[in-house]
Amino acid sequence: MNRIPLRQAARTLRIQILRHNPRDPDSQPRLQTFEIEEADAMTLFIALTEIRERQDPSLQFDFVCRAGICGSCGMIINGRPGLACRTLTRDLPEQITLAPLPAFELIGDLSVNTGKWMRGMSERLETWVHSQNLESLDIDAMEAAMEPELAEQIYELERCIECGCCVAACGTARMREDFVGAVGLNQVTRFRLDPRDERSDAAFYELVGDESGVFGCMTLLGCEDMCPKDLPLATQIAFLRRRMAATT
Amino acid sequence: MTGKLDRGPARADILQSLSGLLLVLFIWGHMFFESSILLGKDAMYRVTRMFEGEPLFGKPYPLLVSGVAAIIFVLIAVHAVLALRKFPGSHRQYREFNAHMGAMRHPDTTLWYVQVLTGFALFFLASAHLLVVFLQPDNIGPYASSDRIWSGRFWILYALLLVCVHLHAGIGIYRLAMKWGPIPAAGSKVARRRLKLAMWGIIAFFLCLGTASLATYMYIGRDHAPHAGERYLPAHQQALPGNT
Amino acid sequence: MQIIYTDVLVIGGGLAGQRAAIGAKRRGHDVIVLSLVPAKRSHSAAAQGGMQASLGNCLGAAGDNEDIHFADTVRGSDWGADQEVVRMFTHTAPKAIRELAAWGVPWNRVARGEREITVDGQRKTISEPDAAHGLITSRNFGGTQKWRACYVSDGTGHAMLYTMSNQAIAANIPVHERMEALALIHADGRCHGAIVRNLMTGELLAYVARATCIATGGFGRIYRVSTNAIINEGMGAAIALETGVATLGNMEAIQFHPTGIFPAGILVTEGCRGDGGLLLDCNEHRFMPDYEPEKKELASRDVVSRRMEEHIGAGHGVKSRFGEHLWLDIRLLGADHINNNLREVKEICQYFLGIDPVRELIPVRPAQHYSMGGVRTNHRGESPQLQGLFAAGEAACWDMHGFNRLGGNSVAETVVAGMIVGDTIADFCDSTAGALQLSSALVQEFGERERRRLAEIANGKGRESAFELARLMQETMTAQVGIFREGERLEQAVASLQELQLRSRNIGLRSSAPGANPELVTAYRVQRMLKLAQCVAYGALQRTESRGAHYRADHPRRDDLNWMRRTLASWPSADARLPVLTYEPLDIMKMELPPGWRGYGARDYIEHPDTGVRQQQVDAIGGGLDRADRHTRQEALMPFRHLLPEHLRNNNERLGEES
Ligand SMILES: Cc1cc2nc3c(=O)[nH]c(=O)nc-3n(C[C@H](O)[C@H](O)[C@H](O)COP(=O)(O)OP(=O)(O)OC[C@H]3O[C@@H](n4cnc5c(N)ncnc54)[C@H](O)[C@@H]3O)c2cc1C
Ligand code: HEM
Repeated sequence: MNRIPLRQAARTLRIQILRHNPRDPDSQPRLQTFEIEEADAMTLFIALTEIRERQDPSLQFDFVCRAGICGSCGMIINGRPGLACRTLTRDLPEQITLAPLPAFELIGDLSVNTGKWMRGMSERLETWVHSQNLESLDIDAMEAAMEPELAEQIYELERCIECGCCVAACGTARMREDFVGAVGLNQVTRFRLDPRDERSDAAFYELVGDESGVFGCMTLLGCEDMCPKDLPLATQIAFLRRRMAATT
Repeated sequence: MTGKLDRGPARADILQSLSGLLLVLFIWGHMFFESSILLGKDAMYRVTRMFEGEPLFGKPYPLLVSGVAAIIFVLIAVHAVLALRKFPGSHRQYREFNAHMGAMRHPDTTLWYVQVLTGFALFFLASAHLLVVFLQPDNIGPYASSDRIWSGRFWILYALLLVCVHLHAGIGIYRLAMKWGPIPAAGSKVARRRLKLAMWGIIAFFLCLGTASLATYMYIGRDHAPHAGERYLPAHQQALPGNT
Repeated sequence: MQIIYTDVLVIGGGLAGQRAAIGAKRRGHDVIVLSLVPAKRSHSAAAQGGMQASLGNCLGAAGDNEDIHFADTVRGSDWGADQEVVRMFTHTAPKAIRELAAWGVPWNRVARGEREITVDGQRKTISEPDAAHGLITSRNFGGTQKWRACYVSDGTGHAMLYTMSNQAIAANIPVHERMEALALIHADGRCHGAIVRNLMTGELLAYVARATCIATGGFGRIYRVSTNAIINEGMGAAIALETGVATLGNMEAIQFHPTGIFPAGILVTEGCRGDGGLLLDCNEHRFMPDYEPEKKELASRDVVSRRMEEHIGAGHGVKSRFGEHLWLDIRLLGADHINNNLREVKEICQYFLGIDPVRELIPVRPAQHYSMGGVRTNHRGESPQLQGLFAAGEAACWDMHGFNRLGGNSVAETVVAGMIVGDTIADFCDSTAGALQLSSALVQEFGERERRRLAEIANGKGRESAFELARLMQETMTAQVGIFREGERLEQAVASLQELQLRSRNIGLRSSAPGANPELVTAYRVQRMLKLAQCVAYGALQRTESRGAHYRADHPRRDDLNWMRRTLASWPSADARLPVLTYEPLDIMKMELPPGWRGYGARDYIEHPDTGVRQQQVDAIGGGLDRADRHTRQEALMPFRHLLPEHLRNNNERLGEES
């Protein structure tokens, strides 16, 4: 029988946050430490909210669904990217260091502009179903059939929440700003797998067949290891690399 | 579709990996031949002769060895030029990567850095080795090599080369497998763990093998130091009268 | 102040907003979408369970059609819904899902042959027909006669929102992210756009538009325990209310979802119960059949939530240090099913509770989940009071949910309403009424007003903490305007909220950081949220009956005689401390399905004299046409197709039924 987990003695957490407000000309990047009493089942969402409400109301961070679904709260937690909302403090040491995701434009403190990056990625890789007849669909008629397993496979790749952890975890992306990242490559494999998308491999090659695309990936596998959704990124990128290498 | 595809990037990536793969296969083969010294001087002698084409042409042609060295050198050059594109190209990139690697403490990211460092070192170490082989292809044999290693102090070069090349090759093969390998997504985590284990196993194996051979050459070289420069005669020739 | 001109301004980048945007854009109008967050992070992404559309493909859905979907929805609403709108909705839902299927949503499909399911605690084997192989499948949800919730594993909303967003990107529709609409620009009953705050820089801008559409989602965050995202603070509804002209409908109709995980309130989908999960009490006894012998765990949400609270009240709750809860048991579904079809649920249990639902029970308790109320619109999605203002999705009271929404009907509504409202907006822009006609002085005046309001907060010497006020409001709502409501407690709530509202004029800030300034954001939002909360509390106090999710312990019966009417709240004077409530009657004589028993929940209600009369008419019309096809019969009872845009009027094709 399960119980809501208890902990005997409450710890005092020392949360060190990399702070910087680019809108403020006087602001310099600095580390600021906050101390808070740990509570049962405390997540970083709860901890940061408490810090903002009780200690420093100017602290900036992003949470939306606070349930690990929307991908807003990616940040560097003790050196590694992860979703703050579903990181339980009990899984962390007393000393916690938080920093904004690198590779994205900083809005302030822990808040970064992943939205702009992802929209750019989507526009560049054209991450939508390309089909001749979308404008003249007959939506009164039965839907086209699809193999059940195929639908599930597509969803498997569609589960990406564009949180940016894979980009922050990628040494290549850190060095080359134009690299599309695992998020982009995975989306290309998602649409390539989808029979509703009429694009040929040659069309996909035009999008990712270069050093900022699949051939730029150096297989460091940070993406695979840090993906909060456990997407099979390594195998997808390998697959795409083989397909693209075979495209003429 | 607009115009023709630029196949350049695809070719470059394939070539980088292919050259790497060939080099790895070569180096692994090389290790077994080189370590024939562990089976005795005669064994090594025979291997040398074999590579000089004696079994085929009836007499040794050391130029063949120069040829192989040249090919390997070209392979390395191609590989290095292609791989060089991936090196941090500016101070900013270098700083970013270093900070990233330090913070992440992520094994595969760190391994890549090891590959960059060893690759960089190999550029010099392997070239030096190849140059010697290329210029003195006839100067390979149980005594000739041992003398170079001991009396010529080449053991320093070879020890470094050994460590670098096997780290580089082992990691490289693992990376190749992850980079191109058709691993089914379902079992990919397990497959990767096994590949990683194999990588360390292979590296350890070749380092042991290489160290043992190098030590053997060094022992032979030390014992042979007084006669450094003299060539080895295989046992059957030594036994022939009139040859002493 | 920078002024941006566009034909159509859509406030909200969720499913509803983006679908409306695509609709208007396709008709050739320039559209800008505003969103607090990147569009793909809107709360639509959190919908797990499914989207209702009567496709009737899989075995459990066989025989389904618009008529049954209509009846389920009206019963679910406890006859609070606008039946014409429900018809428009159920008729368009299959089209919406088929459009999404073509656009790329990987709906789960029917697989021919045998498979195992769990029904009523028992394992059963069923066999899907060949003909349905590869068509969109569906699962069982509460309050429905058929398996009608089409789904994508348990990431339905995510898949829908990504597909929708990607289509919007394909259509080149700009989404201005991290932009918050603070006020609607309006004069003489005509809306002209909005004053908007950039949440990155703190700068104010004006967006001037011919048509403005509010699609800002729900306002669950006026409650302490809610399944909603923390951005669901109802700012869209609030700025409509603050015009003093537009009205909000049925704000007291708040849905509580039976299975929020305890204590965090994060949702685990209704699909858990739809797929065969059970509710257990402290003795691990399955109690729902004791209360609801017919539908058991799958009665409508309002009923299940109430029964759960009732059961806890009777002393059968599981005690824990955070309070009492019940158990949700999905162990019987098996590891395979959980790992494949309920993966999100598994992750949530793992990350937030540290348990594995394959082997362990999930602690649950009802939590605020959905707001049936919102910006009142007519059937075409236009505000009846403020020309040029439209609304769609959860933010709207289009009124297809009445007093209780069925699971899966909401994401369906967002897309359907988006399709219809997109066309309405385009029609409006094409008409003479839709021409842009305003003075720049008006824009400046509204901009100046908002700037002053912000400055007052920022420079005020008040002593009240915005965070504290928000917390008090949330506590009040959860404690006193929750699942069980009662006159005296509601009066207290109204009084407390009034007091909080006064205090909110005295907020002082500790931080004056340039840029976003999160404290300032909380401050100006809490002032507006308090008004919404008051609409809910005051509306609930006035409505002396129990209908759907609105349950008054002191008036436990549904009262059709006095309360067949929709609450409309407006806030004409900025300084007022209460909304003005008016009521809009629902005409039983026009209903296709006159009021009756829902098939679950309480059986007794106060009947309206019209009900019997209308029922006889309905029977007579139906009887006279018993040879005609169902569409003709329906048309004779309550015609609705003329209300739809022309291209959405045709019949839907189904297996064994021509279009
Ligand atoms: C946990 C959970 C699970 C659910 N599961 C289901 C389900 O299985 N089936 C189902 O049918 N329904 C479900 N629902 C309900 C359904 O998801 C929502 O009702 C629906 O998605 C709302 O969509 P929307 O487009 O109206 O609003 P949202 O998706 O909430 O979008 C609102 C948009 O408005 C923007 N916005 C808000 N205020 C402003 C402002 N002032 N200025 C600018 N932009 C603003 C936001 O940034 C956002 O983009 C669920 C709800 C929750 C909370
Ligand atoms: C001149 C010397 C060399 C240099 C500078 C060099 C450099 C590199 C670098 C930087 C990489 C990583 C490339 C990437 O991440 O994409 C690499 C990969 C690799 N190297 Fe080398 N290397 C050298 C010699 C060798 C030798 C001698 C071998 C074989 C023994 C070898 C085998 C490999 C392999 C198999 C890979 C992986 C290939 C790939 O990622 O595509 N390299 N090399």
